[in-house]
Amino acid sequence: MRVADQDMKADMKRGSAVLREDAFPMVDRRFGENSLRLLGPHTWVQTQRLLVRLVRDPLTFVFGLILPICFLVVLNVVLGDAIRSVTGHSALHGSVPLVTLVGAMSGASVAAVGIITERADGLLARLWVVPVHRASGLLARIGSEAVRVVANSFFILCAGMVLGLRFNHGALASLAWLCLPAMFGIAFATLVLTVALYWPSTILVEAIATVEYLGLFFCTGFVPLDQYPHWIQPVVQHQPLSYAVEAMRGLSLGGSVLRPALATLLWSAGIAVGCAIPMVVGYRRASMRG
Amino acid sequence: MTAALAVTRPKPSTFAQWWVLTTRLVGPSVRNGEVLLSVGSTVIFTAGWYVPLNHIMGARSGMSSYAQFLMPLIALQGIAFASEAGALRASSDAVTGINRRFKSMPIGMLTPLVARTSTSVYRCVIGTAAALVCGYVIGFRFHRGLECAVAFCAFLLLIGVVLSYLADVIGTTSKNPEATTQWLLMPQVIFGLLSVGIQPAEHFPHWIQPVVRNQPISQFVYVLRALAGDTTPGAGSLTWSVGAPSLAWIAGAITITVPLSAVLLLRRP
Repeated sequence: MRVADQDMKADMKRGSAVLREDAFPMVDRRFGENSLRLLGPHTWVQTQRLLVRLVRDPLTFVFGLILPICFLVVLNVVLGDAIRSVTGHSALHGSVPLVTLVGAMSGASVAAVGIITERADGLLARLWVVPVHRASGLLARIGSEAVRVVANSFFILCAGMVLGLRFNHGALASLAWLCLPAMFGIAFATLVLTVALYWPSTILVEAIATVEYLGLFFCTGFVPLDQYPHWIQPVVQHQPLSYAVEAMRGLSLGGSVLRPALATLLWSAGIAVGCAIPMVVGYRRASMRG
Repeated sequence: MTAALAVTRPKPSTFAQWWVLTTRLVGPSVRNGEVLLSVGSTVIFTAGWYVPLNHIMGARSGMSSYAQFLMPLIALQGIAFASEAGALRASSDAVTGINRRFKSMPIGMLTPLVARTSTSVYRCVIGTAAALVCGYVIGFRFHRGLECAVAFCAFLLLIGVVLSYLADVIGTTSKNPEATTQWLLMPQVIFGLLSVGIQPAEHFPHWIQPVVRNQPISQFVYVLRALAGDTTPGAGSLTWSVGAPSLAWIAGAITITVPLSAVLLLRRP
């Protein structure tokens, strides 16, 4: 820092009239680029950047909102009566949570596409050579995903309430309801980002969608558990989407909440922790090789 | 200088060009996971419709088994996945500029289009085969003899080629290859759910029944179901009133998409 100052003053003395000293912004470098104090502000700037991009991209709304809401309406029209006659209460208690989770997952592929194109354009490499906190890029991606999922789930919940979903336990339960897709969405976003960093291909999005539909079809939010054949019931019961749906059903309809919510937390934490190190390594590699 | 102009230009054979352009599309599809993914999606969707809905919908279907009832929808999904792979490819070709490059080379105007069509046929054959294998595994059988089984496959391929043109148009106009597949997948599920492939039209709410009955997927399902037959009379019989709407939908789609995709390929940017 001081050396640069002296150089600049030397330049001034030599009479370089083109660039004046005060034309250069003085950068505040009291902290190293990886200082914890900078992590917060840097993550915030990048999160803002990603959120602005998301809001300006019409695909976010199509994949995250319009298609899932259409899907919810159709699901209710087609399976609503059959499920009501089997279980005795509205199918919406299961299908609205299912659709919020599907919305969270299909929106995550927009984030995957984002990181693939930014890598190809060289933005990741560019950010790597400027003094930006190394962790802020990934944290911002996950943070913006969390914001998107909560907003998304809120609108899908509103659509569900228009269709006839009611909370038997009040407004607080609906706030807790929104936390579950956020939790799972963050875990799924880390998974998708990790895969996108190692396999930046156009087929990736289709592969994500296939996994998503596998989860959708074999989930207790689609059809009640006892409608599945016996041999597959354990798989359906213990997969993460079913746990999240059961916890959300418990919050809106009543029933056990703590156990499925803890299981969702465990699944999400497991996915996130399992992906963390490969994701960081992959991000570093993607940034350094362009 | 004039000597260079006097050199006779090579006259490449159109057939060889068509073959090169077709292998360019077919070759990588095995290696880059395109075929694997479209077959995998067919398997997942077969399991995904059949396993959860067999118990809850099977009794309502009015046929010998839910597999027999569901098969037309599975077959249609199979070729839909095949044409989606084509859309992805068309979109990457448009974005990376290979279409423009072809226009600057001595290639017949329609050769790239014909090459794409033959690749679609190849994809649809794989999609049909995957769907038939999946159907046989869950318990579907042909009951009307060999002619009808062949007609079933031929009709499916025809729909597949038309769908591929449609997917081609969507892929070529979209500037974002990654987004294209998602554009196509969710509507496919929504329209699949909202068709008579899942449950008979009588079980839908009254207000939506006309839509369900007359949308193209339902019409195709009626024809395919009649061609496959069943041990019970629930499959319906093969008459003109069953087949005509489907053929009309196909004819309509061809008259719109084929000229459109020709225009898209031939226009100058």
